[in-house]
Amino acid sequence: MQHSLKDDYANCVKNYTNQFKENSFRKIACNDFKSWPGPREETWRLSRLGTLSRKKIKPITPNLQKKINGKSKHIGSKIIKFVDGAYRGDLSSEMPLGVNLSSLNDSESLEYLQKLKKSNLNHHPSTNVSLSCTPSIMKLTVKKNVKVKDFFEIIYEGGEESQSVHPVLYVELEENSSLYLIERFNHFSTLAMPLQLTEIRNKASLNSIKIFNDNKETYNLSAHCVHLSEESNLNSFSLIKGGMFTRSETHAYLNGCGSKLSLNGIYISGNNQHHDLTTAIYHDVPDCTSKQIVRGVLGGKSTGVFQGKVRVAQDAQRTDGQQMSRAILISENANANAKPELEIYADDVICAHGATVGELDDDQLFYLNSRGVPMDKAREILIKAFLEDMINQSVDNSLHDFVFKEAELALSSIIIKETL
Amino acid sequence: MSLLEIKNAHLKLDNKNILNGVSLSVNKGEVHAIMGPNGSGKSTLSYMLAGRDGYELEDGEILLDGKSLSEMEADERARSGLFLAFQYPVELPGVGGMSFLREAVNSRRKFLGEKELDHLAFVKEARKEASKMFVKDEMLKRAVNVGFSGGEKKRFEILQMSMLKPKVSILDETDSGLDVDALKIVSDGVNSQRNKENAIVVITHYQRLLDYIVPDFVHILSDGVIIKSGGPELALEVEKNGYSGLINAA
Repeated sequence: MQHSLKDDYANCVKNYTNQFKENSFRKIACNDFKSWPGPREETWRLSRLGTLSRKKIKPITPNLQKKINGKSKHIGSKIIKFVDGAYRGDLSSEMPLGVNLSSLNDSESLEYLQKLKKSNLNHHPSTNVSLSCTPSIMKLTVKKNVKVKDFFEIIYEGGEESQSVHPVLYVELEENSSLYLIERFNHFSTLAMPLQLTEIRNKASLNSIKIFNDNKETYNLSAHCVHLSEESNLNSFSLIKGGMFTRSETHAYLNGCGSKLSLNGIYISGNNQHHDLTTAIYHDVPDCTSKQIVRGVLGGKSTGVFQGKVRVAQDAQRTDGQQMSRAILISENANANAKPELEIYADDVICAHGATVGELDDDQLFYLNSRGVPMDKAREILIKAFLEDMINQSVDNSLHDFVFKEAELALSSIIIKETL
Repeated sequence: MSLLEIKNAHLKLDNKNILNGVSLSVNKGEVHAIMGPNGSGKSTLSYMLAGRDGYELEDGEILLDGKSLSEMEADERARSGLFLAFQYPVELPGVGGMSFLREAVNSRRKFLGEKELDHLAFVKEARKEASKMFVKDEMLKRAVNVGFSGGEKKRFEILQMSMLKPKVSILDETDSGLDVDALKIVSDGVNSQRNKENAIVVITHYQRLLDYIVPDFVHILSDGVIIKSGGPELALEVEKNGYSGLINAA
């Protein structure tokens, strides 16, 4: 019987898990991955994996001696490195008092799997494949009442052509703790499938920045599940700029009263890049707030996708959910898709959403021109302002410059191309 | 030679004739007021002069200091010394006031062959000019026109004018949205920039502004042509009898 190529990767994943025990979490996860999601699956309709499914890829066996000479300077004072998807203690910082980093044992890993299986990421390919193939699930814990002053920086790098990498992380902020976490995705592999579960306990607070800047041929299918407990807080910002195809999918469950979520993102896309920011926010209890601002700048023949679902359960009274997405096309051949979705079952809520796709504003361009600023410069000023304005709203003051420069680097290459 | 010369300007918007042969000569040191009822073509005239896309002349010519503006884009006209103070200044979220001013001033300086100002020198100069217009430091740190009151927006326009030192300034309904106190500040700002080398064209509905910025000449624009020109007394006549009397007489 002839196997379609599509099944090849599923077979590779299955073979990889053959080395493990029959009842391991890996086997369970593996059984749930039969093939890539097709275009008929609603959440993958705008981000199709046809090209990826035709590639010959197999899960990587991490090289634990590999060292990467990263070009970018570290911004964090505590570094955690994953190379080829495997945690590398030899390249990472010592954890400070009150913070613990360790790998999960089999039964803990099984629990991790079960938590994800209860979420709407249960069918996500990264959930099943990465749990099948990860070298180990790493858990970062911030202990109760510990307010971490250091900026933590997690760098995901390595990987090889025609291989997939599977870093899996579990972040737990215990009660009344806080952490600032910067994650940078700099993979070289054909496919990266980072998976993360984050649990923010009562009154804990997480500030998170993710920068997706993988190699230009890389597919990154990031999946992230977040649980927020009572009066906890997540302030999250993602910048998607690298890779051939990057989809960052986040599902956030507000299941403690008074929790607050901000889930902002920027994508900057050029050439043939495909960038997708997919989020689902579940308001399951009363008195929670979620705010979301997404902005995109698209040049070349790139495609941007924003899918934002907000579901307010019947009991989630006094929910405040705001969502706003805006994309600016700076090339005629670029494409932006926005799919906001509100599902509201409670009656006492404030929910608003808006999505626009367009070009730069003529009035603003003319105003700058009328002050002597040439058109190219005026466009550049407005595009940068469009992003800077939002970065200032989303990111801690001390990191504005760092994040803006990261955005500027990507912008300059697409703006230059458009004006040539 | 006139500093600004508009010769027989014709312009259509959406196939509708808006300017039907406007001619005007403005010499150095002069202040001209163009008055007219709603829909007479005043704002179109100011956009046409500033070089907004879509406001190209169908016929006629404009010369700034002897140079034709027809082939120049808006930014080139501005660098050549033409300034338009907007009726509705545009908000630029995320663009800081100080960096906006610096971009504008350095564009003009570069064009004039002058050295671009470094950051410190510029900030010093900007603060000095800003204080004259009662524009606080804090306002320069904010995004351009975002959250500004009507008065603040207009003061910021005149601050730009004072920093760019244009040859010809067109003030498009600068009085709209201003209370009496703000009107006085803005007018004082404009008057302080009147000199023998530049010229100002004030476009307005009402005579009120002309009590503060006293023009040398007043022109009445109606249906896209100047139907009457005169001295400041013409503005008083408008105030007394309205535009209809003048239009009917023409």
